[in-house]
Amino acid sequence: MHMFGVAGTGMSAAKLLREGGNKPRVHRDAWDKMMMERDMRLTKEYRKQSDEPIAPEDFKTSSVWRASRIWDD
Amino acid sequence: MTTSKTNPREPHAQPYYITDPTPLPSHIPSVPEIGATSAPLLSASYFIGARCAPYNEDFMLCRSQGRTGETDCLKEGRRVTRCAISVLEDINKNCQAEFRKHWGCLENENHDLSRCRLDEAPLNACVAKFLNLTKVIPNSDGTPINDYETPSFFQKKVKAKYEQ
Repeated sequence: MHMFGVAGTGMSAAKLLREGGNKPRVHRDAWDKMMMERDMRLTKEYRKQSDEPIAPEDFKTSSVWRASRIWDD
Repeated sequence: MTTSKTNPREPHAQPYYITDPTPLPSHIPSVPEIGATSAPLLSASYFIGARCAPYNEDFMLCRSQGRTGETDCLKEGRRVTRCAISVLEDINKNCQAEFRKHWGCLENENHDLSRCRLDEAPLNACVAKFLNLTKVIPNSDGTPINDYETPSFFQKKVKAKYEQ
C-alpha cells in the first residue's frame, strides 16, 4: 500500500523538477505557445522567467521562422 | 510528382527552420528589446497599458491602415518598446518584491489572473503609490481597480498598509 504513495510522490517530484517547481501549463493555445517559445529564446531554459527590462543582445537575432520545403520534381 | 519519405505516393510538407543572424541595417535606429518573459509581462500589462496608451494606439492605428509589412510602423514600434521598458524599469525599482510575488503566482497558476488576486492587490497599491499608474479594465466604465467606492475588508487592509 505504501509503495503507491512513494511512486506517486516520485512522479510528481520529477514533474515539478521539469517545470521549475510550478504546476504544468495546460490548455496552451497559439498565443501561449508563441510566448513560451519567446521565453525559451530569452532565458534558454524551459519555463524560466526573467523580469529584466532590457533583453540580451543576442535576442535581437535569435528569431526562428518555420517554413515548409517545396518539392520541385 | 512530389514524393516524401513517409509516403511515396502523396505530397508531404516537411517543416524546417530558418534563422537569420544578420542584424538590422545601420540606418534604422537601434532600440533595446524587452527582456521580460511572459509572466512578468502579463503582470505588468495593465500598467504598461496605462502609461503607454498613446504610443500603443498609434502603433495599432498604423497597422490598421494596411501597413502590415515587416518594415512598416517601425517608428511607432520603437516608441512602444521604449515606453514598455520604462514601465518595467520603474516597477523593478519601486515594487520589485510585490511584482515578483505576483508573477511567481501567475507562473504557477497557468497565467490565470483570477487565481492570483491576493498577490495582485499589494502590487496594484504599490504601483498606484509610487508610479501613479492604475489598472483599468478596457471597455468598462473606467473605475480604477484598486480604488473601489465600497472596498472589501481585504482591500481596506491593503490600502491602509500602503498609506501609513
